[in-house]
Amino acid sequence: MSLLKIGSYTFVSRLILGTGKFSSSTVMLDAIKASGTQLVTVALRRFNREQMEDDLFGPLSTLKGITLMPNTSGASTAAEAIRAAHIARELSGSPFIKVEIHPNPQHLMPDPIETYEASRILAKEGFLVMPYIAADPVLAKRLEDIGCASVMPLGSAIGSGQGLGSADMISIIIRESRIPVIIDAGLRSPSEAAAAMEMGCEAVLVNSAVAVAGDPQEMASAFAGAVDAGRKAFRAGLMQKSGYAVATSPLTLFLGTPS
Amino acid sequence: MITIELNGKEQRLKAGSSVSNLFSIVGCDDKNVAIVVNEKIIRPENRSILLLEEGDRVEILVFAGGG
Repeated sequence: MSLLKIGSYTFVSRLILGTGKFSSSTVMLDAIKASGTQLVTVALRRFNREQMEDDLFGPLSTLKGITLMPNTSGASTAAEAIRAAHIARELSGSPFIKVEIHPNPQHLMPDPIETYEASRILAKEGFLVMPYIAADPVLAKRLEDIGCASVMPLGSAIGSGQGLGSADMISIIIRESRIPVIIDAGLRSPSEAAAAMEMGCEAVLVNSAVAVAGDPQEMASAFAGAVDAGRKAFRAGLMQKSGYAVATSPLTLFLGTPS
Repeated sequence: MITIELNGKEQRLKAGSSVSNLFSIVGCDDKNVAIVVNEKIIRPENRSILLLEEGDRVEILVFAGGG
C-alpha cells in the first residue's frame, strides 16, 4: 500500500474531508467515520453561546486517528491569514494549515499574491502549508520552491459541484510537482474524485459533495471507494489512447473468405 | 467597572477581571477555545494571570465546520 506523505506525516487515506455544511455534528462524525479520512479541515469562528452545536473541537476529539487541518477562511490578506494560522495552531496543536485567501465572496477565487506571501512566511515558521490555489502551474511551482508541503489546486469553484474543469492545467501541475498535488474544491461526484486520482493527484479534498448529499455517510463511503480505485488505477498504469480501434479479438478469417 | 470589546460587542466587567473570568460570563469551556487580546494570543497558563483593562479587544474563537 502506498501512503500519502505530507511533510513528516503519513496517511493511509487519500481522502481529506471538509466539515462545513453538515446538518449536525452527528451527521458529520458519521460521514468522517464512513470516509476513513485521517485529515479533516476546520475553520475558525467567534464563540457563540447560541450556536454551541457548531463548536466542533469536542465532537472531533472523540475520533481517533484524525489530524486537523485548520483553514484560514475569512482572510482576505496575507496578514489576516497568518494571524488565523497562529490562532488555529494554538487551538489544534496541528502544524497543518490550509491557506485559503479569497477576497471576493461571489466567486471565492484564491488571491495568488496574498496566498504566496502568507505561504512563504508560514512555511518559514514551520507550518505544513497547504495552499488553496487556482490551477496555475507557475504559481504551484513557486509555492513548492518556498517550502509548501503540498499544493491544492481547485477543480472548479468552491461548492459549485462543477467537477474537474481545470483538468488540463492540473495535469501540468502534477507533471511538474515534487510535492503532493491535492484537488481541493468543486468536486461533485465520486467518479470525478476517481478521475483526479487516475491523473496522479495524491489526494482529494471534498466537503460539499458529501455534506449536502442525500445520505452524507453513504456518499463519504462512495468517495472513499472512488479515491482508492483511482489511486490503484494510477499505480497500475492506464493504457494508451488510440485514435483508431485496436482489436481485442483475433481477426482470423475462418468464417469466410473475402473475395 | 470596565468596558471591553468581546467578540465585536461591548461587554461590561468588574475592574480587575482576568481573562479566565470571561469563561463563566460567556459560558464556554476554556479548553476548546483560543483567546486573543488586542491581537495577542493568550495561552491557557496565562489566562488567570492577565487582567483585562478598559477598551481591551478580546476574541474568543472556536473551531467550526469549514472546507
